[in-house]
Amino acid sequence: MAAQKLALKTIDWVAFGEIIPRNQKAIANSLKSWNETLTSRLATLPEKPPAIDWAYYKANVAKAGLVDDFEKKFNALKVPVPEDKYTVQVDAEEKEDVKSCAKFLSLSKARIEEYEKELEKIRNIIPFDQMTTEDLNEVFPETRLDKKYPYWPHKPIENL
Amino acid sequence: MLSRLFFSAAAAAAPCLKNAALLGPGVLQATRIFHTGQPSLAPVPPLPEHGGKVRLGLIPEEFFQFLYPKTGATGRYVLDIGLVLYFLSKEIYVITAETFSAISTIGLLIYVVKKYGASIGEFADKLNEQKIAQLEEVKQASIKQIQDAIDMEKSQQALVHKRHYLFDVQRNNIAMALELTYWEWLHRGYKEVKNRLDYHISVQNMMRRKEQEHMINWVEKHVVQSISA
Repeated sequence: MAAQKLALKTIDWVAFGEIIPRNQKAIANSLKSWNETLTSRLATLPEKPPAIDWAYYKANVAKAGLVDDFEKKFNALKVPVPEDKYTVQVDAEEKEDVKSCAKFLSLSKARIEEYEKELEKIRNIIPFDQMTTEDLNEVFPETRLDKKYPYWPHKPIENL
Repeated sequence: MLSRLFFSAAAAAAPCLKNAALLGPGVLQATRIFHTGQPSLAPVPPLPEHGGKVRLGLIPEEFFQFLYPKTGATGRYVLDIGLVLYFLSKEIYVITAETFSAISTIGLLIYVVKKYGASIGEFADKLNEQKIAQLEEVKQASIKQIQDAIDMEKSQQALVHKRHYLFDVQRNNIAMALELTYWEWLHRGYKEVKNRLDYHISVQNMMRRKEQEHMINWVEKHVVQSISA
């Protein structure tokens, strides 16, 4: 019978906590507590399943063939290993997750490249004391003045 | 005659004036090369911090150097003082009331500039510095913002590698639950069989006890009967 040869992967709970988004913390906690319950229950199981003392019963039960009969039937009994139809689902989920992660990674890389380009552009502007106003408007487009009010105070006097 | 000498000297000295900046507004435009060729030479090279050296606040150094080979150190001074005296004596420059007002005004101006010029310059520079510092802040803030965005993306990428833990936990849970269930079933089978066997044994024990008691009772009854008969 399946003794303690479970292929349990070691879990890094810190990393597990990191990847959970904020709104799913409750589900993650329940998962974690369920895991702990199961491990504790598994730990309290004895090593081997209990064995029936056939000799004692054979000596004491009066009916002749009963004990032998039971013994034969019991040894012939094969408890089926519960079938595992859930790991497949988890694997399928994981595959999809890997795909979406790959997509996210590629998008993220594209974003990083854009950011790097902008960073380079900002790093390479000429020093401010050598800029003219046109250069300033080029680098920081928000400083561009409205063509309608080219002279100070750059807005109709009523808005002062 | 001296005046002709002066004018020819000035004409000859004109080329060397090109290197003296801050000569006067009109001459400045002629000396810098503005936007020739390419559309823009941005950044336009900044103006030099200090103008060409001048003596007496007015006369550029080049005038003095020009006459040095011919006349030595005092050449220019002699030339200038001679000119001034010439203008005064020949009344080419007439001393009027305005002369004295000019002298006092210019004297006052020189005094004010000498005394407060530096501090006013610093004040103006400080204003400029503030503006530039503000712009620098904006630049640094945007650089930092972009850096933060990049770092966050990188950390999210790192998280992607840890996602498998979620599924590992689930798989572990499933495996453990299955193991437990199997053990439960085994244990149930054992318990049922043990129950049946124990039932048989306890039934036997009970029967034997009953038979013993019955026999004892029967024996007692017969003994009592035989005694009392």
